[in-house]
Amino acid sequence: MAAGTKVIKKPKRTLADQSFVVELVKGLGVTFKHFFKGLNQMRPGGPRPDVTNFNYEDGIATLQYPDEKRPYARRFRGVHRLTHRANGEPRCTACLMCSTACPAQCIWIKPAEFPVGHPSRGHERFPEEFVIDELRCIFCGFCVEACPVDAIRMDTGIHMTAIDDRGSFIFDKKKLMSIPSQDGDFVTSNDRPEPGDKNYGGITRLQGH
Amino acid sequence: MPTFKLDGKEIPFEKGETIIKAAHKQGIEIPHYCWHPGLSVAANCRMCLVEIEPAANQRAMMLDVLVWDEKKKDYVVSRKPKLQPACQMAAGDGMVVKSETSEHVALARKNVQEFLLLNHPVDCPICDQSGECKLQDYYMSEQATKKRMRDEPQHKPKGQVFGPTIVYDAERCIACTRCIRVCEEVIQDPMLDMRERGNLFEVITSPGRQVEGHYTMMVEWVCPVGALTTSHWRHKGRVWLLKGTQSVCPGCATGCNMWVDVDPRENTAFRNRPRENEAVNQYWMCDDGMLSYDRVYKHRMLHASVDGEKSSSAKAIEAAAQHISAHKGSLAVVLSAQRSVEENIAAVALAKAAGADLYITGKASWDGDKILRNSDQNPNRAGALKAAGVESLPSVDELVHKNHSAILVLGEDAEVANDVVARLRARVPSAPKVVVLATHEQRGAWLGVATVVVPITVWAETDGTFVNAKGVAQAFKRALAPRGDVVTGWEAIVKIAKASGLDTGYSKLSELREAAVSRGIEAAPLKKQDGVSPGTNTPRSTV
Ligand code: SF4
Ligand code: SF4
Ligand code: SF4
Ligand code: SF4
Ligand code: FES
Repeated sequence: MAAGTKVIKKPKRTLADQSFVVELVKGLGVTFKHFFKGLNQMRPGGPRPDVTNFNYEDGIATLQYPDEKRPYARRFRGVHRLTHRANGEPRCTACLMCSTACPAQCIWIKPAEFPVGHPSRGHERFPEEFVIDELRCIFCGFCVEACPVDAIRMDTGIHMTAIDDRGSFIFDKKKLMSIPSQDGDFVTSNDRPEPGDKNYGGITRLQGH
Repeated sequence: MPTFKLDGKEIPFEKGETIIKAAHKQGIEIPHYCWHPGLSVAANCRMCLVEIEPAANQRAMMLDVLVWDEKKKDYVVSRKPKLQPACQMAAGDGMVVKSETSEHVALARKNVQEFLLLNHPVDCPICDQSGECKLQDYYMSEQATKKRMRDEPQHKPKGQVFGPTIVYDAERCIACTRCIRVCEEVIQDPMLDMRERGNLFEVITSPGRQVEGHYTMMVEWVCPVGALTTSHWRHKGRVWLLKGTQSVCPGCATGCNMWVDVDPRENTAFRNRPRENEAVNQYWMCDDGMLSYDRVYKHRMLHASVDGEKSSSAKAIEAAAQHISAHKGSLAVVLSAQRSVEENIAAVALAKAAGADLYITGKASWDGDKILRNSDQNPNRAGALKAAGVESLPSVDELVHKNHSAILVLGEDAEVANDVVARLRARVPSAPKVVVLATHEQRGAWLGVATVVVPITVWAETDGTFVNAKGVAQAFKRALAPRGDVVTGWEAIVKIAKASGLDTGYSKLSELREAAVSRGIEAAPLKKQDGVSPGTNTPRSTV
């Protein structure tokens, strides 16, 4: 026998070990312990951990999605919405910054000029059509970052779930304007007043400046 | 040639030339707004100020100024050299000019920028100049500081209609008067004037006038900012989504050089812009040329037809070949002054192989003028004749008197319009079989007598060459992919020839190009500048 070799004796096996019956019962004991613990937690009114702290508390580790949902952070990027002006028109000026920034190229906008006589004519333009393909969207939020006038937001809190019809992922202007924020707001926080508006603070040539 | 030094670089100049123009010719840009190489000097924007070192035996002209001393927390008296406008100052031999290397110039530019933006509405998000605007460019390169004025800026009229094509926004105007000068000097019709000065400056139309005529779009073109916009491009899209391709206007025999701006996502052209060429169009184009981009999508012939029934291009080519091989003996081939040299060469080769007679057609003439517009509305009459190697060809008028039993027509245009239709139809039952290679429907008279129609590409969908009225051959590049079932023009001819058992000897565009060179049609090579957004690759923001 070579020097430095350690000899380990073969452990002795009893009949109980050899038959596996005892160990099997022990193992099933652990399984059933957790089974009944879980069963207890699952019963109505049972001691379930809060969904928010699910990861940090003892107990069952499975969230019963979609019956149970973990609440999203307020800054969660949900499906888009288009904000309104005070008068209910879209705040969007159809600048195409969002569609330029969009890495998925899923925003399509057709800009248009306000009709003659409209107070915003010359000062603004508006999106005649505004379409987002939510299926192509990667929810990066670049569009919201790019918007110079707070016209597009992703603060709806809505997680787009699977629908078996692709067409319903194409959100048009009407649809985008019908979605409120998670607090129920529609109006933009950047409602720039224009000459002629009541809350307009500027000086115009007509005021004899 | 005398030279001067600009930031240490020797710049050659011709006697009497200004500093800015000599630098422009060398491809060096001195920031400027009111100067335009094609217009007179106004020197009113002061953006082009440069420092000129005094001659050896002279003292520098110095000005007393107050500068803010950060340590003393007070203004102190200092001196700075008097700067000169590079757009007005004639270059002198041995002059030493500092532009990018002078701190005084940098400060002057920064201050000019700040003044120009003082009352500017900064509505870049809705401004169609955004992306190719000098105010934006120079803000980034020369100013880059926040606005200090806290007052509400001066407000002026926006969205004023100056005419059928031009809209004016007085708030964005920087009072450079380029638009007024282009009316007087290039268009030679003083349609614009101005009122008030400084912050109250406004461009107005001359009493009782609007901006009208054949060159209105040049008025917008020269505006360095977004104060003037065209009703055609206004609120259509953004310039950075467009890709410019070097092209030649198909509008008339002048052959103005231009860029076709295409949105590759939609495979559609959105505008044309003049391309600088001192020998042909300088910096300008006419309105019809500026709007010729609509030929790409308006009234396009997208389907082939055989005996009046819709068909595929492949089938139409076969049908065309049948007619041609059946009537080889009495075939007529009509070249087109509308189509490129390459296509005409292919058609000539087909005619030679079949022993056919050659004719030429194109569009009827229009009102030419002394500025740019040639009275011949066809961009390539000279090229088509050179392709055939003759001085002149009989027109369609004469074709009607001959008894050809089959006719192959390149392009659907006919100078003699409905006449042809009437007279050829009248020859029933011996009416000839007419194969038309057409680009547009509802346009040319030939469609009225067509037996077979093969849809072919417009000029912007393929590479080609036009020879203008002065005999200058100019190449243009493919700007977009052919739409629908459309066949590239020269390919359609080669395919028809092949299917009817004729050998043109050509199978590639490069071979047609070589044939053109052997006929003395050699266009100057185009610069490698395509496929970049207008704001960054093209002279819009540097002129
Ligand atoms: S979230 Fe990102 S991918 Fe989705 S629309 Fe906005 S920019 Fe495009
Ligand atoms: S949503 Fe905002 S960024 Fe997008 S086009 Fe409208 S204004 Fe521009
Ligand atoms: S409209 Fe444009 S070109 Fe005319 S003065 Fe104003 S800035 Fe200059
Ligand atoms: S003058 Fe002729 S070539 Fe020039 S832009 Fe007008 S139509 Fe085109
Ligand atoms: S003053 Fe020289 S470019 Fe305007």
